[in-house]
Amino acid sequence: MDFNFSEEQIQLADAVGRWVEKAYPFERRLEISRNGGFSEEAYQSLAELGLCGLLTSDAYDGMDQGPVEAMVVMEQLGAGLVIEPIAQTWIASALIQAFGSETLKSDWLPSLAGGTQRIAVALNERAGRYRWQVCETHANNDQLTGHKHVVLGGADANAYLVSAMHNGQLALYLVANGAAGLRAEPYATQDGGRAVDLYLKDTPAILVTADGLTAGAAAEAMGIAWLCAEGVGIMERMLAITVDYMNTRQQFGKTIASFQALRHRVADVKMALELARSMSYYATLKLNAVPEERDQAMARAKVQLGQSMRLVGQACIQLHGGIGVTDEVAISHYFKRLTQMEMQCGDTLHHLGRVSDQMQATAGVFA
Amino acid sequence: MDLAFTPEEQTFRETIRDWVTAHLPSDLSTKVHNAQRLHREDMQRWAKILGAKGWLGYSWPTEFGGPGWSAVQKHLFEEECALAGAPRIVPFGPVMVAPVIMTFGNAAQQARFLPGIASGDVWWSQGYSEPGSGSDLASLKTRAERQGDHYIVNGQKTWTTLGQFGDWIFCLVRTDTSGKPQTGISFLLIDMRSPGVTVRPIRLLDGECEVNEVWFDNVQVPAENLIGEENKGWDYAKYLLAHERTNIADVNRAKRELERLKRIAKTEGVYEDVRFRDEIAKLEVEIVALEMMVLRVLSAQTSGKSSLDIAGLLKIRGSEIQQRYAELMMLAAGPSALPYIFDAMEAGWQGDQVAGLSGFPGGNVHNAPLASTYFNMRKTTIYGGSNEVQRNIVAQTVLGS
Repeated sequence: MDFNFSEEQIQLADAVGRWVEKAYPFERRLEISRNGGFSEEAYQSLAELGLCGLLTSDAYDGMDQGPVEAMVVMEQLGAGLVIEPIAQTWIASALIQAFGSETLKSDWLPSLAGGTQRIAVALNERAGRYRWQVCETHANNDQLTGHKHVVLGGADANAYLVSAMHNGQLALYLVANGAAGLRAEPYATQDGGRAVDLYLKDTPAILVTADGLTAGAAAEAMGIAWLCAEGVGIMERMLAITVDYMNTRQQFGKTIASFQALRHRVADVKMALELARSMSYYATLKLNAVPEERDQAMARAKVQLGQSMRLVGQACIQLHGGIGVTDEVAISHYFKRLTQMEMQCGDTLHHLGRVSDQMQATAGVFA
Repeated sequence: MDLAFTPEEQTFRETIRDWVTAHLPSDLSTKVHNAQRLHREDMQRWAKILGAKGWLGYSWPTEFGGPGWSAVQKHLFEEECALAGAPRIVPFGPVMVAPVIMTFGNAAQQARFLPGIASGDVWWSQGYSEPGSGSDLASLKTRAERQGDHYIVNGQKTWTTLGQFGDWIFCLVRTDTSGKPQTGISFLLIDMRSPGVTVRPIRLLDGECEVNEVWFDNVQVPAENLIGEENKGWDYAKYLLAHERTNIADVNRAKRELERLKRIAKTEGVYEDVRFRDEIAKLEVEIVALEMMVLRVLSAQTSGKSSLDIAGLLKIRGSEIQQRYAELMMLAAGPSALPYIFDAMEAGWQGDQVAGLSGFPGGNVHNAPLASTYFNMRKTTIYGGSNEVQRNIVAQTVLGS
């Protein structure tokens, strides 16, 4: 039992932190979100740092790192409010690496790691809400028909990993952007990023795996673990920004940091942050556990993160007062990202339901 | 980073578990698992069993006869005891005053007091709070005046937990009123059988006498019972409070009580009510998050590589969770939590012919203590520095100034 980071992990965090400081200041981020929510240039520069292929095997030009390194990077990207779809790339790469054929791997993994191509993961449909297992899209002779809803990071992707029913079972397919019968309708999202809805009609696709349930669960688990890490990075930065503001802003002749009602609110934010960080560690360290144990951990973690993100986001806006609800300060953009994250990969009530349904007589970190 | 305990730590856990299974009397664990009333003899019995093994002072270093366990080993010991349903170790002797005597006491004091604490023979109480000094502890007024080889102590302490059983009491007393409140306080060990000591139990809202008022009327205390230097008591008290705080999250007990909550909810038919079960699920998540936070503090203590500013959060969160599981247990019983039958909280109670009760109303005597426990648990966010004071401290670490 050890929660210390290795020297290499600390260096990795520092490197990403420096990149954010230099290449992704708030003004740049604002500009990117106003110009469509994705920057090829920023994405390329993350690829040059090796981040796109962080988890990919070195046989496919990746860095071969593990969940803790991913967590460390996501915390830093969160702190910088980086909108580039790195987590999407990691999930797509991991799915292809774990389930894809040798051809798929050699076709896609090196270019995903190099940042020259991108794949977005399209599992959810409108009827199923967060239940990606609910799938009306179906496959007929490797042709897909259906509708995928709110595919994040999906605008301008080179391909999509699309779930579809095949012979009564959930399967996972790869669909190239521009394939026949595919219509991608892009739009901005609340956090300044970008998503698409995909409409497929007899669209040719390549089968990645017939075991879509296993692949989907793995994708969801990774998505949750990295949202947790990103959330921790965001909340930590929001608290720091808020503390600075409170120690500067004067009202009634003193800094607002001197008012006890506000100080207690800060203590509550700190509590929410540290509970979230604890559960982010938990999620990351359970990411390679057996699926049942992993998924229980992810549901618990997302419940805590959902609660923490809402509390921290709302409190930090409130502590800023009027300036906090303007578009011109960073804090409101952090808040919008946090808010959106609760509704990614299942919200608090959704995962509370999972925890509740699967409760056992005993419970704890190790059970 | 690694979540798993090492193989050595796992082996250690199993050793503890086997020993506890073999030595914890089942009548005691039955009482604990069902929140039945524990008496002085119950607590003493377990203390002496641990004392004979050398584990009552489980946090002690080897030079004072303790096992010299690491922070992780101590945690595993606490967890195994809690999950098995062992009575809580009454902390005032082995956990609270002993480290102060070891750190600031002289060799004679160590030789005189530590063996009785380690064996469980001597019951210690804590004399900190006063009627006018609650969260603002430094304002305490109990006076100790030096006269020759003695101090003459006058004043009143209150909220002295289980002080009605106490043999000795460690007190913060005022020895100087000239400077800042903190600088005139001394740490004094007082024999509770001394002439002039009066103990009056205070009945709490649950009907139990868990705390006491203690009066000192010209009590003669030998000067050799002063710990460390005169007027340095506040420093020792702060050291002690740090010891009080690390285990105050009580997450191991929370895990046991979560199991009990689920049992009660099933028996009472609300486990299948999704609205109720979701509340249990929320608590389960909170307990796992608290456990992770405790493990983070342990890891930081063990490695010494990083210091964490989150220890103060443990008291706040731990106490809120204690209150929540007590609340949910009471709500699970619902109407069956309403009968207040004092004797039904005793082990083995089987009705009261005189009162015309064939048993606990509705049949499940496990419901008898639920409301009382809920009432009792309101103390947890008040004692040990109220949670509002804790928030002040947390805010200070975050905001500075």
